[in-house]
Amino acid sequence: MTTVQMPEAVKPVLNNGIPAILVTCSAEGVPNTTILSQVYWVDEGHVALSFQFFNKTVRNVRENPYASLCVMDLEGYADWVLQIRYDHSETEGPIFDEMEMQIEAIASASGMSGIFVLRAADIYSVESIRKIDGRPSARV
Amino acid sequence: MSPNDRTDPLARKKQEFQLLQDVSARINATLQLEQIYAIALETLADLFGFEHALLFLLDASGEKLVVVASRGYEGHELGGEVPVGTGVPGMVAKKRRFLHMDNVGRQRSYLAAQRRSMVESGRSPEIGASFRVPELDGVQSQIAIPLLANDELIGVVSVESRKPRRFTEDDQVLIAIVANQTASAIRSARLHAELMQTNRELEERVRARTAELETKLQLAEEFLQDANRRVEGPLLGDSPAIVDLRAAIARCAANDDAVLIVGPHGAGKEATARAIHAQSKRARGAFVHVHCPQLTSEDATRLFGSALQPQSDGAAKSKFDLAHGGTLYLEGMEELEIELQVHVGKALQRLDAQRQSGVPFEPDVRVLVGARRDLRVEVQEARFDLELHRRLLRQQIIVPSLRERPEDIPVLAEHFVRRHALELGKDVASIAQPSMRLLQGYRWPGNVRELRHVIERAVVLSRGATLEIDEESLNEGIVFGTYRLVKQIASGGMGEVWLGRHALLARPAAVKLIRTTGIDGQKERELKARFRREAQVTADLRSPHTVQLYDFGISDTGTFYYVMELLSGMDLAAMVRRFGPLPAERVIMLLQQACTSLIEAHERGLVHRDIKPANLFVTALGPNYDFLKVLDFGTVKTTHEDTSEVTLQGAVAGTPAYMAPELVLGKSEIDARADLYSLGCSAYWMLTGQLVFEAENASGMFMHHVNTPPRAPSGVVETPVPRELDELVLRCLAKTREDRPASAAELRECLGRVACAADWTEERARSWWTLHAPDVLSGQATPREDTP
Repeated sequence: MTTVQMPEAVKPVLNNGIPAILVTCSAEGVPNTTILSQVYWVDEGHVALSFQFFNKTVRNVRENPYASLCVMDLEGYADWVLQIRYDHSETEGPIFDEMEMQIEAIASASGMSGIFVLRAADIYSVESIRKIDGRPSARV
Repeated sequence: MSPNDRTDPLARKKQEFQLLQDVSARINATLQLEQIYAIALETLADLFGFEHALLFLLDASGEKLVVVASRGYEGHELGGEVPVGTGVPGMVAKKRRFLHMDNVGRQRSYLAAQRRSMVESGRSPEIGASFRVPELDGVQSQIAIPLLANDELIGVVSVESRKPRRFTEDDQVLIAIVANQTASAIRSARLHAELMQTNRELEERVRARTAELETKLQLAEEFLQDANRRVEGPLLGDSPAIVDLRAAIARCAANDDAVLIVGPHGAGKEATARAIHAQSKRARGAFVHVHCPQLTSEDATRLFGSALQPQSDGAAKSKFDLAHGGTLYLEGMEELEIELQVHVGKALQRLDAQRQSGVPFEPDVRVLVGARRDLRVEVQEARFDLELHRRLLRQQIIVPSLRERPEDIPVLAEHFVRRHALELGKDVASIAQPSMRLLQGYRWPGNVRELRHVIERAVVLSRGATLEIDEESLNEGIVFGTYRLVKQIASGGMGEVWLGRHALLARPAAVKLIRTTGIDGQKERELKARFRREAQVTADLRSPHTVQLYDFGISDTGTFYYVMELLSGMDLAAMVRRFGPLPAERVIMLLQQACTSLIEAHERGLVHRDIKPANLFVTALGPNYDFLKVLDFGTVKTTHEDTSEVTLQGAVAGTPAYMAPELVLGKSEIDARADLYSLGCSAYWMLTGQLVFEAENASGMFMHHVNTPPRAPSGVVETPVPRELDELVLRCLAKTREDRPASAAELRECLGRVACAADWTEERARSWWTLHAPDVLSGQATPREDTP
């Protein structure tokens, strides 16, 4: 699979604070859906997802690296659907630090520091991206 | 167009650059923290259009941030705190990194939903305490920047908005520039504030120290005034004696030469020295007072050594150095060991030579020397350095005793009354006439000092404006056993002799005290042992020609003393010095009496070891004139004991001018013939008025005793000396004791065989005393005019 370049327009949508939907699938073909609070723009071809407490998602991704990610643009009244492929995990470095700092800044003031612990920044390559106008999933 | 107008990037850049220049100029132009905060927040608002901003500073503990300035909050957040590591500003402080969040509200909502879910599912215990971070209500976008100066975290700036807002990388650079300038300015202002605070503290310390020094200066001035008053006291009066003394002081003050100031205890020697200093060109320099008897050998060597070899920079200053430009007063010079006197002589010689050279030198010191005794006697008996004495005699002042200037007593007494009344805050204006007569009639053995003490006591006890003197206070004296000390008669190598009076019998007596001041423990023990021996030995002797011992003991203060019969007369040293050589027949008669005393002592196995004219005292005892008493058995030893037991460790017992060769050589077996040698020396003195040998120091004298044949007395004086007596004296002075008379008894017998032995009659003796010392016959003379 080849990596595609994400358009600039998706950048503000990725980490806009609106939960994104991540769909993974086990080796046996059993799907799983979960919600992510943050999706980070790494570069035009990669995003980073926070690995916090998604045990089933992690297990699926380790068995089957392909996943589907839907982020919502409430202001633009549209969804963006990304086909992504797990690449690697980072437990240090600038991406990890930036993600951890943002999570901790919010969690620390609300007594959630011990729960919202960033274990790793999982880096995915973007294999396709598709905008679906007029269908903001958040309304569902 | 505002800087956050993004429509024209070039114009925006120019405006940003201008703004940064402005902020740099403004923020660096002030050291007021409040102004720096305001400029920083205003700049951020201008650059990015934020209406709300908070400035946090890290507190001293480094564990929390405190809001010190705000914009758009109406001051509500001032003083608010957030721990490092909590909330957006806390995380920025912890990570020391920039943080931008443009979805704070949504992220919080998401977190809140998660939290609610956990609570509903019973997981509340896993949730920690929430913390209210100072921030804008409903904040959506937030950017927080660490304030770093020289890699030191100072605080955090947080700008906030209720609208979503994204920042570009350029924005971040701009924010970093403003933050760095702000941090740098805050750090400078803080350092300035710390410096100001340190400066204030230093100023406070300087003020405190100055006040302390002023207090000390005031005390020093008071001490100086006190010293001046002490100077003033003894020299007051209009008597011829004090007028002469003041004239002598004025003469001595006009030059820089050393001065020998001789006078009895308490008469005003120090006052005289201070007056010379005060009237001299050195008056603005230091007056340094050194009490010689208290000097250890090491002190003295250092003191006088620095006069010969100036101290190098950084070396501890000796009192000689401290007296540079001023005056050094050496009190009690006669008590200094003769070896150290030589150093003083050399120091004076160097000072003279340097003054004559006309070249400035250090230490430039004027030396004044105080002595309580006539140093001529000390020189004659080789206890004082001849060269030093010659040098000191160039300028000598005799301070009169108070008894010699009784007309000054009223003015002195009134002066002391005024002074002590003022000090004690008492209203005492005068002295009652009977009391003044009492003061004028008293003998004042302690001189002006005693007068001052008597007045001090009386002022303390006074109750009215007119001072009354209690007669008892004049006769009180110091109590030793059953005796009171009335006045000092003499002082010598071992101690002092005082006129004492028995408390009940009113019998006068001579009280001898051991001197222990300035003597270390070992020497003190040895001296006391020697003193005790003298007392015990003397008490056991019954010869009428040996001084009688009444009592002895140790006072409450540890002073050893013994009480002897009080003798009215004079010793042979003083007699010959005052009246010249004695006729041969009188010498024979006196020597025979000395032999009588020694016969008993020798028969008991005791050797006196310090026979000399000063220890042969001539008195009038009832109808017997020229009655001789042998004094001072302080160096006595038995013929069985080792010499070291009774002599000071490292010292030679006896008086150098009269010591037998075997004593000089330290031979262990000393017998009665050592006393006969000394008696021969004493006979020589009586017949000729001269010592057997002359030497500049003790060592020279010792050499003569061992090696130099003496001249016959008849060859030294023109007065006739019978040949038999001449030969007898020379026999006594034989270097080998076997060549001397075998005993005091033999010597007495030989003396009796001299042709003129019977020529000195009672009548001649009585006539002599009547003519030369009538006061002795009336019992009013000083019991002992001089002392060994």
